[in-house]
Amino acid sequence: MPNEPVDVLIVGAGASGAAIAWSLLDTRMRILCLEQGGHLHDKDFPSRREDYELARYGEFSCDPNVRGLPQDYPINVDDSCITPVNWNGVGGSTINFLGHWPRMKPSDFRTKSLDGVGADWPISYHDLAPFYDMNDANTGISGLAHNPAYPDYTPPLPPIPMGILGQTLAKGFNAKGWHWWPSDVAILSRDHNGRQKCVNAGTCDLGCAAGAKGGTNFTYWPILENAGVELRTNARVREILVDPDSGFATGVLYHGPDGQVHEQRAELVILACNGVGTPRLLLNSTSALFPDGLANRSGQVGRNLMFHPLTGVAGVFDEPMRGHEGPMACSILSQEFYESDPSRGFVRGYGLHSGRSTTPMTYALGGYGIDNPIPWGAQHRDIMDNVYPYLAGLTVVSEDLPEEHNRVTLDPNLTDSDGIPAPKISYRLGDNTRAMLKHGEERAREVLLAAGAKRILQKGDDKVWWRAGWHQMGTCRMGDDPETSVVNGWGRSHDVKNLFIVDGSIFATSGAVNPTSTIQALALFIGDRIKTNIANLFD
Amino acid sequence: MMETIWTHEDNTQLEAILDLLIPANIERGIPGAGEARVASYLSVVASRNAKFAGQVRTLLASVSGTIHDITPEKMHQLETTVPDAFRALLTETYKGYYSRPDMRAHVGVGIHPVHPNGYAVLPEDPALLDELTAPVRARGTVFRDPTAKETG
Ligand SMILES: Cc1cc2nc3c(=O)[nH]c(=O)nc-3n(C[C@H](O)[C@H](O)[C@H](O)COP(=O)(O)OP(=O)(O)OC[C@H]3O[C@@H](n4cnc5c(N)ncnc54)[C@H](O)[C@@H]3O)c2cc1C
Ligand code: SF4
Repeated sequence: MPNEPVDVLIVGAGASGAAIAWSLLDTRMRILCLEQGGHLHDKDFPSRREDYELARYGEFSCDPNVRGLPQDYPINVDDSCITPVNWNGVGGSTINFLGHWPRMKPSDFRTKSLDGVGADWPISYHDLAPFYDMNDANTGISGLAHNPAYPDYTPPLPPIPMGILGQTLAKGFNAKGWHWWPSDVAILSRDHNGRQKCVNAGTCDLGCAAGAKGGTNFTYWPILENAGVELRTNARVREILVDPDSGFATGVLYHGPDGQVHEQRAELVILACNGVGTPRLLLNSTSALFPDGLANRSGQVGRNLMFHPLTGVAGVFDEPMRGHEGPMACSILSQEFYESDPSRGFVRGYGLHSGRSTTPMTYALGGYGIDNPIPWGAQHRDIMDNVYPYLAGLTVVSEDLPEEHNRVTLDPNLTDSDGIPAPKISYRLGDNTRAMLKHGEERAREVLLAAGAKRILQKGDDKVWWRAGWHQMGTCRMGDDPETSVVNGWGRSHDVKNLFIVDGSIFATSGAVNPTSTIQALALFIGDRIKTNIANLFD
Repeated sequence: MMETIWTHEDNTQLEAILDLLIPANIERGIPGAGEARVASYLSVVASRNAKFAGQVRTLLASVSGTIHDITPEKMHQLETTVPDAFRALLTETYKGYYSRPDMRAHVGVGIHPVHPNGYAVLPEDPALLDELTAPVRARGTVFRDPTAKETG
């Protein structure tokens, strides 16, 4: 039996689903969110256990293929050099994200006209700027104002500590005369809005038991549920339904916690399932009107998948760097090599991120996002006693260009626990990215030496980090032309006028920064456009 | 003696292997993985994971003899002849060893669960931040803004 219809149906309770629900609160429309996972309960945070690191290799792995929890869907990654990682539950991947919060830059929205690659976005940095600010206030962003790498803005809270590691690297960048700045982070440097400040535990990927990290389970969802937004958990959407006459979306079919398939009708359907989950759902929603998947007349659904391929270089210093103390991802960020410079042999650019070091087990197993145990025997003892405590590293985070062959399709055999076809990833590194990573590794090496490193540890192969598909973008890209894009400049499907997409899949290009700040700013921007155009929303 | 799914002899051999994988640092009083009883952790893993249990049996069968036959050379040999089993044992050994809070502490990391107390890290003095960022600010802006004029 169908449920009572709602005005707005959001699929996915992660970063973007929560932000758009908040934006639409003041319309007083009836909003329902269907989420395939559940709430994370206080007792579930592994960082309260003595053996907390083990969780990273089991129930709290960032890789759904390793976790294999009932709410997860498997992903075929046989044809990819990077595996997508995520969290499926209330908060989405902001449960295990690391909270690094850089904005994209003005030039990121104009890569085609500036550098002849990728695509121009139909909107600009300046369209998003007020929504970045709004989201920063809602999330509680810490950072230092007046970063010369951006048009001026001021994060609402002071920066989190850089620690000895950040200070040491900053001196290295200064010695080279290169840009760096304390990272903006979705992590509280002070108690804020009833939430507790960060205690520098260093296990942000294991959820944040302090509530200091800006996961939407701590930021938006408590407000939304109080305000009457209905959040139905353990509800996995299998298909979006379309009226064969009007071509409008009428609602969805979903598997409920009772194991039954339910129908939910809605006036407006908003997808927020992330850059893999959203194209998967659209490709699974076929009909006579849309035989190749819903909203896919352009053939672009699932194409142009972008990650941010990464590699890392570490230096060994004389003093202990105390890299396990403080939020994992972020101490300082250099954007010296972010903008294009043709003399470097590639277009676009990358950031040098000072991730803090990880905990001993993860280091011994190869590092976060890597499966390559360090040597055993006497060498192991030497590395752990005389190298590990003295490490400071830089991660090269490169822009990924949109390429049609990098894509999400449906696996013909693999399914999730409800029998819904699972996604398959086909992805290979572009030559431009390879050149960029190589350049970045050399610059990272230089700056570590300038900072006083006595030895440099470099991989010496051209492999990127495997479990580093943290950022999934581009698979339903926005654009003005319905022939080459899936949604318009405010997230509305070109083909289905009451279907919106708000997650990272609508990015036209990836920039070289972590995307969630932009994903949520975009969701707020789209919410604003929906409200502005409400009288003729479906014209 | 601890309970394991292996015989006493198997266990003795396994501990000798473990002490080679992660040896002790005698000067600093850090035990090796055998002495740190990682075998009991492996036994729990093996009791839940038949594939891993089989891999450990394969390795033990390959080193049959006395513990004096368990040498670094023998380990290097196993690394090439039974690479998957060796890699699985190595991975679980690292997990078992470093899931012990006292082993973490030996390499400078807190013995406590990291929540609720975390670590005390002081924020930088604003004067220090000012001093460190001064050269960066002095260079001026480092971004292109093709749309600045469009939106005024
Ligand atoms: C380990 C890790 C570290 C990261 N670190 C950073 C960082 O430091 N900075 C940063 O900016 N970003 C980071 N990210 C990325 C960040 O988490 C994502 O960019 C962000 O969460 C994406 O938002 P989203 O709304 O698109 O998707 P998500 O937040 O992933 O939410 C999607 C939700 O949709 C649900 N869903 C999917 N399909 C269905 C369906 N069929 N039915 C019902 N529900 C469904 C999922 O269960 C999920 O809850 C990290 C990610 C990971 C995994
Ligand atoms: S380091 Fe801070 S943000 Fe990260 S988990 Fe700990 S308290 Fe939370």
